[in-house]
Amino acid sequence: MSSAVSGPLRQVLGKAAQLGGAALGTLQHTRIPGVGQASTTEPADVAARRWRAVTVFRDDLAGPFPELEALGPDLEVRMQPAPGGRGTELYGRFHGSPTEDQVGELRAALRRTKQLAEVGEVLRVDPQPHGRRTPTPQGAALEGAAAQAPKEGVL
Amino acid sequence: MRAAVWAGVNEVAVEDVPEPQLLNDHDVLLQIHQTVTCGSDLHLIGGYIPAMRAGDVLGHEFLGTVVERGRAVTKVQVGDRVVVPSFVACGNCWYCSQELYSLCDNGNPDPGITEGLWGQSPGGCFGYSHAMGGYAGSHAEYMRVPYADVGCFVVPDGVSDTRALFASDSVTTGWTGAHLGGTQPGDVVAVWGAGAVGQMAARAAMLLGAEQVVVIDRLPERLAQVRQHIGAEAVDYTTTDVVAELRERTGGRGPDVCIEAVGMEAHSTGVQGAFDQVKQQLRLQTDRPSAVREAIRACRKGGSVFVLGVYAGMVDKFPLGALMNKGLTVRGAQQHGQRYVPEILRHMESGALTTEHLATHTMPLSQAAEGYRIFKEKEDGCVRTVFDPTG
Repeated sequence: MSSAVSGPLRQVLGKAAQLGGAALGTLQHTRIPGVGQASTTEPADVAARRWRAVTVFRDDLAGPFPELEALGPDLEVRMQPAPGGRGTELYGRFHGSPTEDQVGELRAALRRTKQLAEVGEVLRVDPQPHGRRTPTPQGAALEGAAAQAPKEGVL
Repeated sequence: MRAAVWAGVNEVAVEDVPEPQLLNDHDVLLQIHQTVTCGSDLHLIGGYIPAMRAGDVLGHEFLGTVVERGRAVTKVQVGDRVVVPSFVACGNCWYCSQELYSLCDNGNPDPGITEGLWGQSPGGCFGYSHAMGGYAGSHAEYMRVPYADVGCFVVPDGVSDTRALFASDSVTTGWTGAHLGGTQPGDVVAVWGAGAVGQMAARAAMLLGAEQVVVIDRLPERLAQVRQHIGAEAVDYTTTDVVAELRERTGGRGPDVCIEAVGMEAHSTGVQGAFDQVKQQLRLQTDRPSAVREAIRACRKGGSVFVLGVYAGMVDKFPLGALMNKGLTVRGAQQHGQRYVPEILRHMESGALTTEHLATHTMPLSQAAEGYRIFKEKEDGCVRTVFDPTG
């Protein structure tokens, strides 16, 4: 978001960015009648207790996994071979009832762990070239959604 | 440096932007020689894919020279003239191992957006919105390319910039449709759309052994290109019933493989066209699928329909009954370019595959807005506008 913006407009844009991130999160847990494109129909508290998993295309996957360990002792981690030579399934789940933010951190950590194991580094996209960012609520909402995207999805 | 950016719905601007930098060890930086408009850009520019931020650099079909490389890059050298597929693929995940590169697990840094839309995230694409990774595009003097050893292909000396340029997307996308559509020697293949991708799908089908290839469009200059440069048959859908025409040309069977290379803003005639326009504008459907419907109706029993045109969401009145009862195989994909570029460059070098005729207009990048306008309006016979970033 442009740093040249100040005052009430900045507050509006900040709020829009939060709403964009929140909207993306809500989308993952919302069933839109007749559309059927939502990623899950479960209540968030039920979904939060599920194992989250990525399949890493390595048969020899082994810890330690610093990205997962950083999430604290409440995170349970397990692995098993994937069928059909697809590598190793890596699972994580919090004990108890994690917050949405914790689940988001787990998604992002699993994705980073997979990238580190498969490619050796985590793909970055910022900073990169861009032109003038006109400060609009829609733009701020999109930036909020993009910033939240590594923590969201059906994972 | 100068770059062409999305500045709002139906607004393209050329602005000063910062130069890119190496962000990962597998990156290279390219100096762009040529970069070209694509029909799928029009969906972004027109606001049909609402994940563009003002200032985003456009462009995903390009060719350039490597000017800097990350320390993990081993195959590509500084000074190499390379062409790069539009989709970002890591080369190490299971999908890449299956040569389904546009489905790469690791190529999209913003997977949450497309997982929410589609249930799974495909790979990322240069210059194609924050839904597809938010990468800066190629309509600029310089550009960053991640996973360079997987995505960069050295262009043989005998192949011109303008010929190789289209191996970045048009040819690779067309080749993906012809190959994964299951084209076999002796097949009859029909292609909807005589833009660059449709023409290249037709040419790919011929190089894969198709015996008869028919391309459908309405623009006389594009149909003329099909006859002259591709060597395929051409059908004007505004003057004939396409399904009847194809049935007549194929001994009553219908084509074995039907490739749709039109996309979500399909133009069509009559009541169907008006219906789709109205529903899309009212947001009751996001995409206009008239060419896909027609392909399903025209296809022979047990044949194959391949969706190459870009779609984003939902369509209405989809002929599921025809699909099921005729035993069709329907498949779609973004391009798996990394799989096909070496073969494509060999055909380009031998002269069996030429693309220069697609570059009907060449302009300095400073005229990008006008270049897109001409391209969108299909003015002056425009098939593609190629930009020179140094201009």
